[in-house]
Amino acid sequence: MALLEISNLVAGYGKVQVISDVSFSLEPGKSIGIVGPNGVGKSTLLLTIAGAISPNAGSIKLDGTSIFGMRPEDIVRRGLSLVPEGRQIFSGLSVKENLSLGLTGRRDKKGSHEAVERMHELFPVLSTHEHHQAGMLSGGQQQQLAIARALISEPKVLLLDEPSLGLAPTVIADVFERLREIIHMGTAVVIVEQRANLVTSFADETIVIRDGKVQSRLTPADATNTDSLNRSYFGAGD
Amino acid sequence: MRHGGVTKFSFQNLFGPIIIISALTFFVGRTSASLQLITQFTLCYFMMVLALQVFVGNSGVLSFGHGSFALIGSYISGMLTAPINIKGHALAMNQLWQALVPLHTNIYLALLISAIISAFFAALTGSLLMRLSGLSAGIATFALLGVTYNVFFNNKRIGPGSQALPAVPTISNTYILLLLAALAIVVVYLFNISSLGRTLIATREDAMAAPALGINIYRVRLIAFTLSGFLAGLSGGMYVHVAGTFQVQDYYLEFTFLTLSMLIIGGSASLWGALLGTIVISTIGQLLLMMEQDLPIFGIHAHIPEGSRAVIIAVAFVAVLLWRSSGIANGKEFSIPTFWRK
Amino acid sequence: MIQSILDAISLGGLYSLAALGLGLVFGVMRLVNFAHGELITIAAYTLVLTTQFPLLLSLVLTIFVTALVALIMEFAIYRRLRGVSPAIMLVASFGLSTVLQRVYEFTFGALPKSAVVAPSLSGVVKFAGLSITISSVLTIILAVVILLAMGYLVERTSLGLQLRAASADFRTARLLGVRSNRLITAAFVLSGVLASFVAFILVIQNPVVNPYYGLNITILALVGIVIGGISSLRGAALGGFIVGVILSGLNTLLGNGRVYSYTWLFITVLIILLVRPGGLLSKGSELERV
Ligand SMILES: Nc1ncnc2c1ncn2[C@@H]1O[C@H](COP(=O)(O)OP(=O)(O)OP(=O)(O)O)[C@@H](O)[C@H]1O
Ligand SMILES: [Mg+2]
Repeated sequence: MALLEISNLVAGYGKVQVISDVSFSLEPGKSIGIVGPNGVGKSTLLLTIAGAISPNAGSIKLDGTSIFGMRPEDIVRRGLSLVPEGRQIFSGLSVKENLSLGLTGRRDKKGSHEAVERMHELFPVLSTHEHHQAGMLSGGQQQQLAIARALISEPKVLLLDEPSLGLAPTVIADVFERLREIIHMGTAVVIVEQRANLVTSFADETIVIRDGKVQSRLTPADATNTDSLNRSYFGAGD
Repeated sequence: MRHGGVTKFSFQNLFGPIIIISALTFFVGRTSASLQLITQFTLCYFMMVLALQVFVGNSGVLSFGHGSFALIGSYISGMLTAPINIKGHALAMNQLWQALVPLHTNIYLALLISAIISAFFAALTGSLLMRLSGLSAGIATFALLGVTYNVFFNNKRIGPGSQALPAVPTISNTYILLLLAALAIVVVYLFNISSLGRTLIATREDAMAAPALGINIYRVRLIAFTLSGFLAGLSGGMYVHVAGTFQVQDYYLEFTFLTLSMLIIGGSASLWGALLGTIVISTIGQLLLMMEQDLPIFGIHAHIPEGSRAVIIAVAFVAVLLWRSSGIANGKEFSIPTFWRK
Repeated sequence: MIQSILDAISLGGLYSLAALGLGLVFGVMRLVNFAHGELITIAAYTLVLTTQFPLLLSLVLTIFVTALVALIMEFAIYRRLRGVSPAIMLVASFGLSTVLQRVYEFTFGALPKSAVVAPSLSGVVKFAGLSITISSVLTIILAVVILLAMGYLVERTSLGLQLRAASADFRTARLLGVRSNRLITAAFVLSGVLASFVAFILVIQNPVVNPYYGLNITILALVGIVIGGISSLRGAALGGFIVGVILSGLNTLLGNGRVYSYTWLFITVLIILLVRPGGLLSKGSELERV
């Protein structure tokens, strides 16, 4: 039984259907990449899985139980966290307060203190800036904060929406290095990315979304094959 | 308030509402003298709701300030037509500025003047207020209402202050009010389908995109606000000639909320919604009033305790919003198929 | 002179409490709850109708009743309107406000109810040759204490952190685990508690309660939160304070012309809004969310 299992998911905004048929499943300690052109509905997909948008049809199972139609605050307590697109840190609050908010999604409140310390170890920059306004951090630091804030609830599944957005290449490498550690510790990760090369080589499997459906599935081997990547990504040669 | 509304001219969209309002005026107005009076007041309210539809409905910007245009329209038309000896000698008017006493015209000219001055006042205030949107606009228009009300309520040099100006001549012929309402329907309808009106509706749907499309939101809103001020002033003028007296209190919070509720219950995004809202709220109010007074409705006596009318209306209002927040008409204009399917 | 300044500060404090009650609810659900005034009214009724009890008991009872009414509002009406545009919610709250006014009229009668609440707190003290009303000093003390308590709650507790986060971005807060229903319920209860204190201060000054008792202060508090900057609780409290001070100052300065103090107040409000549409504490670049 897979940890996260999405089948035939349909979702959108009101009458507008954005995701029409998406299925994939994910095991603990594994990662899945999601790529596709702008506006295809990648963010919509992640928001739907996390409960911020109500799905229309299909099924979403976490650890064997359905989380379809649940509220986001309940889903996070069951062990699925989202790092939303554009990070969405609370820029008016301090770094510490941002992290504390992440703690509200923990199932057991014991161990909160240790969890904060673990995040400080994983992202040292957060402890040095603990009392600063989160809005004052650099983009890379904000991204680390956003990831830490989602991780602090100790999710079984972590969804990330464009973690590389607006970051310099060295910072991106750094962030992905952290992600590798997180996956290594047993967390399953779903990464939406614009940089198809990067995520295809990183993730165990990468799905390409077009027209609301899974158009193809790629393996790390495809990352070096620019041709197949381009074809599935831009739909050239259809 | 998301739905599109009209785009091109359609006979049934325009004449449907006119026929319905004419038929209602004709049949209800002839039943009894008291119902005739109710019909007349309803026509005045309808004019106000139309005024609100032009601006609030099309632009999506909330205005609590239209009561001040109605107040001014009513004041001007009342003052211009009240008998000179009343203005000069009535107790309520003993501090009146003497220069205002001899000004006098007939009712119809007075109505026109009051609407024009209201429109002018709307243009003037709108030129400042139309820079705002959202809640700021709501509060700013509310402040406008507050200023107008406060000045007229307290200043006995320009009017009756907190008292009533008596003996304003009345329009006894309901069909004249009906004619005005029908004309207003035509004007509003033509405005709503004009390119200006459509532009305004586009800014309601997506205020962010408008500048990118080269739309000057400020200008289209200001034009609509001015037209809306004209109609609101006219509605105040009509009201004063139905009530036969001018009183500042008639155009404050209760008036504002009543007319706004009519618009929103009916569905602010269409002219048909404005009419439906006016009819529904007026009818329910009247039926409940008859129940309170234990009068028969189609031969049936259904007594309700005194004072419960207002509770029921307000509850109905909230209930409609819970049921369909875009109002009964749900953004659609009148059309025969949808009308029958209802 | 001293008395005028005290009056201004106490009115400012009072309005900032009312504005805070509105601001709390606005923050979590983008609802301008016009029916907040009816919370103040029910609190005032409860206070004047329970004068036979000891003051503290009466106050506790009032807080209980008012918070209960606030909860009923949330459960029966506003919960069903979540996600509807703020303009519609505002108009719905007008409707609710009217419903409650009529219900009060029905239950308590249209004629005002009156009873002296806490007689020892009205009156004048002589201090260093000046005579000062007890109520103004009391109001200031009470307002400061409550504002400090609210400040503590909002800035230092987990509930406060969640309130601030939800005001800034409700969706992200929920994604992190903030329980939306609980938080909104808490905001309504808090607004009920604040309304009770506002009513307590009001009835000491004016114990004649009618169905429209809370209307006026709500309108002014509403004006306050908008000019202060509706996006933050600080802005709301500050705006309420400013409105109170301006109004009190106008009443003093205008003398016989004080009937026009609302005119000048509203003109000031218009000027502030035209210069800073998002309110005094807005960050300028912030897009309007309403
Ligand atoms: N709140 C919304 N209401 C209505 N439609 C929306 C909303 N948000 C997004 N959409 C539409 O849904 C579609 C998918 O948007 P989404 O943000 O999920 O795309 P995406 O794949 O994440 O794009 P990007 O790569 O640019 O982040 C787009 O066509 C967008 O216009
Ligand atoms: Mg996206």
